Amino acid sequence: MVLRVTCLGVACCLLFGVNAFPDEPVLPDVLVTRQLAARAHLAVGDVVAFTTDQGGAPATRFRVAGIYEPTPDPMRFTAQRMEARMHLPDLTRMTMDSTDPASAESVDAINLRLVDPAAAQAFQLDVRTRVPGITAYPTARSPDRDPFAVLDRFHVAISIVTVLGGTAFLLALMIIRAEERREIIGLLRLVGISRRSLLAAVLLEGLFIAAIGAVFGIVLALAGQGIVNRIFQARYDTALVFVRVTPSIALRSIVFAVPLGVAAGLAASWTVLGRDVLSLFRR
Amino acid sequence: MTSFALAWRTATCYRARSALATAGVAIIGALLFDMLLLSRGLVDSFADLLNTSGFDVRVVAHEGLPVLRGPIHGGGRLAADLRLLPEVEDVTLVRIEDAVIPGPADDLKNVTVIGTTEQGPRSAWTLLQGADLPRSGTTPDRCPLIVTRHLADVRGLDPGATLNIRIAVPGTASALPQIACRVVGIADFAFATANEYAVATTMSALEAADTTRGPDEADLVLVRSRSSAGGSAAARAIVRVRPDLHAYSNEEVVSQFNQNGFAYFRQVSVVLSSVTLVFAFLLVGTLLTVATNQRLGEIAALRALGISRFRIAAMLLWESALLVGAGGLLALPLGGVLAWRLDRLLRQMPGLPERLHFFVFNSSAIVEHMVLLAATAIVAACYPIWLAARLPIAETLRREVIG
Repeated sequence: MVLRVTCLGVACCLLFGVNAFPDEPVLPDVLVTRQLAARAHLAVGDVVAFTTDQGGAPATRFRVAGIYEPTPDPMRFTAQRMEARMHLPDLTRMTMDSTDPASAESVDAINLRLVDPAAAQAFQLDVRTRVPGITAYPTARSPDRDPFAVLDRFHVAISIVTVLGGTAFLLALMIIRAEERREIIGLLRLVGISRRSLLAAVLLEGLFIAAIGAVFGIVLALAGQGIVNRIFQARYDTALVFVRVTPSIALRSIVFAVPLGVAAGLAASWTVLGRDVLSLFRR
Repeated sequence: MTSFALAWRTATCYRARSALATAGVAIIGALLFDMLLLSRGLVDSFADLLNTSGFDVRVVAHEGLPVLRGPIHGGGRLAADLRLLPEVEDVTLVRIEDAVIPGPADDLKNVTVIGTTEQGPRSAWTLLQGADLPRSGTTPDRCPLIVTRHLADVRGLDPGATLNIRIAVPGTASALPQIACRVVGIADFAFATANEYAVATTMSALEAADTTRGPDEADLVLVRSRSSAGGSAAARAIVRVRPDLHAYSNEEVVSQFNQNGFAYFRQVSVVLSSVTLVFAFLLVGTLLTVATNQRLGEIAALRALGISRFRIAAMLLWESALLVGAGGLLALPLGGVLAWRLDRLLRQMPGLPERLHFFVFNSSAIVEHMVLLAATAIVAACYPIWLAARLPIAETLRREVIG
């Protein structure tokens, strides 16, 4: 079986051959992704062969030391993660060009942890000045270069539109409800209950209903997140979490929904409370 | 009085309620319309971008797009061979290099240099100022350049200005000497991102500037098929001649991107369209049910006057249709404005070609929008119709009088 695999340590595209020689002596270790193991029917202890040559030779043998779940990458969630991880010297030995001694020391990228992370930009400039041809990039994206910051704004915009639509419907429902209670409100006014007391009652009732509605919405979202995640994780064979209801999102929903619900209830009730008592009885 | 007239009277009698419900449907409908546009917008826009480039087959060294950097050796010979194919009308070699515009360390500009052998009018860029790249052999310029408007603005470049560039050698701690290029024109590049610094020059100029790569090497070969053959047939013919290369027609490129690159937005649009429809159904259904419950006495009176069950059901269906229909119609212009705003927002995403759009108008989206809303109106009216149809007339009227 031959597969195209990305070998990590130094990123490169390799052809992959599987040969089962379990009794082979000491071989270098390699880790393969869960997806690759499933596709190539690999298990821990199997012997596999890698080569950079499209023709298939010469291949270097490795022993599968483990199977791992690749770190989910939202930028590549549709990609099949056919990847293997090996020690850098093993990969360098495999990819080096015998006619170029420098190739034994070639790498594609070097990861650094700075003593002072705030000095990333100064370090970047320093590298540019001292080593032409090498570029340093901070791993943290600035907000203007982060696609997920844009997606976040997009989702906020969508949720605002949804809330606006929901508010219009809510107002319509509240108006129907207020109309239904028109005569009861008229009776209460006739027995001497003030507008202010009735308004306070409507406010409390609205607060109660809006709070219950918001909690129900969050429970629904919590139930929905599991379903959505399972569907998409199965669809793309990834451990990436697509939907997560965090406490801050839940809080934001409540902060938006409760005042809106209360305001809609008050506005609708005012159409009845603001009228003359006799007009409530159609007199 | 017809069912429609009865429904119209109800809608106009409860004006505030009807207006709010219509506004709600319009907003939710606008969102639905936008999601339908989003489901195909990016793919349509990308296909349009490819098709307007004037070439319908892309030949690369490695499998899978958009990997362009696998070098294709002997580009000149390959171009000559491909031109002999009956399916092929024209061939252009493209080479892409990274370069820097020298300056102080904190003001170095990374720039993408595109070298092309294309001789005719170039559709990969739209000339804004100056002249196009000269035909090879017709100019004494060593390095004529077309620069993007963005770079011209930042550097204050006009046609005739000199721009020094230095080709970067990837993975090597060395530098090639900088070369002085002359800006011949300023253009908008079709595939350039909004903030990208890109320049285009002739293939011969780029080969002379970058001595680290072999001569006659290309990263990408663009092929224009004959209209009688089409892109797919030309791609198959190219692979027959050069099985070591990979040729993709525009349709195949779009299909690959549709499968991989655009999956997120397709899924978002499917999920949001479904949620929006369910939302609209629940809201319209609830509204109609509550309104019907409030008017049970009125409906019973109409039945007592001799109006049939069928006409009452038709009236409720018309009420639903009026709410959803008016809201759905309002949703189209509202959705257009919302799509424009959302498109502007999403196009701030880094690394996207400036001409790519997420929301692209297409008539089939309107048809789908109307069909989905009509279905929502019918389904939402089912429960209120059922309530009204099984209403006991005498008992309801007595309850109404006693109440």
